Amino acid sequence: MSGADRAPLPPGSIVITGLGAVTPFGWGVAPLWEGARSGRCAVGALDAAPAPRSRRATLADRFAVAAAGEAVASAGLDASALAHAGVAFGSSTGGLIESESYFEDLLRRGPRRARPGLLASQQFDGPGDAVARALGCTGPVLTVTAACVSGAAAIEAAARILLRGEADTVVAGASDALCRVTYSGFNSLRAVDEKPSRPFRKDRAGLTLGEGAGVLVLESARHARERGARVLAVLAGAASTCDAHHMTAPHAAGAGAAVAVTRALTEAACDPADVDFINAHGTGTPHNDAAEAAAIARVFGGLARSIPVTSTKALIGHLLGSAGAVEAVVTVLCLARGEVHPMPDDGERDLSIALDLVLGLPRRLPRARVALSTSLAFGGANAALVLRRPESAHVR
Amino acid sequence: MSAEPVVTGAGAIGAWGVERRALHGALAAGHPLARRVEGTPDAATVPAAACAALVPVLDLSPWLAPAHARRMAMTSRWSVAAARMAVEEARPGPRDGGRTAVVMATAFGSVWFTERLVRQVLDEGPQAAQPFYFSECVANAAAGQVAIAEGARGANVTIAQREAGPLIALSQAAAEVREERAEAALAGAVDEMSPLLHRLLDRYRALARGAAGRAEAPRPFDLRRDGVLAGEGAAVLLVEPAATARARGARTLARIRGTGSAFDPTATESDWGEGVETLAAALHRTLRRAGVAPEEIAGIVSGASGARRGDALEGKVLRSAWSGRTLPPIVAPKAVVGEYGGGILACALAALDGASFGRPTQLTEHDPQMGIDLHTGSIPHGPILVSALAAGGAAAWVVMDRP
Repeated sequence: MSGADRAPLPPGSIVITGLGAVTPFGWGVAPLWEGARSGRCAVGALDAAPAPRSRRATLADRFAVAAAGEAVASAGLDASALAHAGVAFGSSTGGLIESESYFEDLLRRGPRRARPGLLASQQFDGPGDAVARALGCTGPVLTVTAACVSGAAAIEAAARILLRGEADTVVAGASDALCRVTYSGFNSLRAVDEKPSRPFRKDRAGLTLGEGAGVLVLESARHARERGARVLAVLAGAASTCDAHHMTAPHAAGAGAAVAVTRALTEAACDPADVDFINAHGTGTPHNDAAEAAAIARVFGGLARSIPVTSTKALIGHLLGSAGAVEAVVTVLCLARGEVHPMPDDGERDLSIALDLVLGLPRRLPRARVALSTSLAFGGANAALVLRRPESAHVR
Repeated sequence: MSAEPVVTGAGAIGAWGVERRALHGALAAGHPLARRVEGTPDAATVPAAACAALVPVLDLSPWLAPAHARRMAMTSRWSVAAARMAVEEARPGPRDGGRTAVVMATAFGSVWFTERLVRQVLDEGPQAAQPFYFSECVANAAAGQVAIAEGARGANVTIAQREAGPLIALSQAAAEVREERAEAALAGAVDEMSPLLHRLLDRYRALARGAAGRAEAPRPFDLRRDGVLAGEGAAVLLVEPAATARARGARTLARIRGTGSAFDPTATESDWGEGVETLAAALHRTLRRAGVAPEEIAGIVSGASGARRGDALEGKVLRSAWSGRTLPPIVAPKAVVGEYGGGILACALAALDGASFGRPTQLTEHDPQMGIDLHTGSIPHGPILVSALAAGGAAAWVVMDRP
């Protein structure tokens, strides 16, 4: 393996070989999967963070490095294998929680007592750079900060790096820590529910905010095959669009989201009928869920009623910029384990949303081959990822 | 599947204002476009940086209706106005907005609004948070506003990679066009400088300071360089397939021949590292991708800004990549326009446009470790390399020319 360019690859030749996560269920993929399939809501406090590697590491950096470490370990990649790898990461707030501490010191104790290092840590690229530094990666490194689609957009960016032949391996994911400013901001938009969010339910009243990180190791199929890696899933297609409609409200008919899904399916050479389940953005806000349901109906037509739909946010909350990455991790797990995790069976059915929601118990789908994960965000950004089970995918 | 990406329109706002002629004039003069930052201490009494390349008060109404501007942070206003300038210059004709992408870069986002929002929340409590500040302080607000203003419904991405961000954004936009996911892309960068951010950068000794007998100024590649001139502004380029531009007889400002990026893991969170070989190898790959040999590069628009370690690394990377051969003419326009705000994109186009670069007025003597003598005058016709190495470890390059 060297840093030399490879020949460009066709779509469908990107595989996922490692997963890592830090979520309200705990540090690691195992507690995430155990919690997700139980369908219990994990809204609450995170476990104490492990000791930081650096005095300057922010909470988001620590989430990112921990999840990335787990992902590359599960992929069986060592330091030499990562030397030429790239990193595509997302974050919507970087170290805003640490900056908040700086401002608090500034306001309460005056400028002499405020530690500028806290403010300096508010770099959006902090988590991605921390991962690249910790893993010793020298390939292309970029951070996407696109609010709540950051994670999914970073995964798409990683796939593009691989398809162009600029790297054999890219560590992709996202990390965000929740702080008072973020909470207050969403609250000011009346987007926060006091109770855990209830995506797509009639009494849904807003989102539940969370924090964490999700990381996936993406490789060219050839590279994974050459090193005998276990392939967890194929990233068959990805696409991003923008509503260009409103800064905080989604397009009511889900037009932009529908186009993103359609393009991702086209890239994956899939028909809507091929999709076995959807892990929706599903925030639990009245507008988002209505728009997303409209987008699904637009793409899938009558099939929309029979495709199982879940939302990981019902269990762990909305992890901001890292939501799309964590949900991609969960979607891969659902495909690999042949079951879709449920949402809590709370609240009343919304008759205006004709979706087959997975509620209460996991839905066994042992023959599921194709899954869709969607993300929508402030600024009108939309992203869609199409994932395939490896044994059913045509790995080129 | 490959479409050659070209730039057919550009808009830029910076310390020079909005006029391209004003930018060219400033580059020719070689003098930093520095203005005093509000509230900075007197350098004679307190050792501190006092200046930044601040955007003057501008009338943006030709590109952005005041009623719309009122609902935007300054970063969004500048971005939307710069995007409109780019579109006006390119005159792209009827477009499929669904295939127009927006890729912006920012290092800090809307710092004024973020500061105000944080103060509101901490001072007056969570209920005091204003939704307007919140929605405009997300880092991708500018890209979202550009999309709304231009009806751009393709991919909408904001890149945050500090000093390397503008070139990575341009690279991503070029890829959207080259790989035919977009029929046009608006690519650029935006940043603003608040007194608090300026003070913070200075506390980290990132900014040039005055000293006995030496004015406060950025001194790229100079032995006595002691930091950068912080800047602000926005630059947006319209990128589209060469065939589309040719078909309507559009003027090509630049052809994007190749792009590349890499990471130096020896860098710390806030400084540059020493990964010369790693970055030089990545630069070589970039040139190969562009189909250009080092000796064919007509000039280098360097990201050197007066940063102590950053300039040292950039100089060594260039020397290593050229393996002992004579380096082409090098200019360092951040000495004039400052760091951040996309000035490097505007200056790269200026270089292709034949702009004359004056010798930065505050240089003292060469740093013998690098031996780089900045070029004065225009860069000869041919492909140029645009280079940006970021604190924290990222690096990016773009090779472009004017056919």
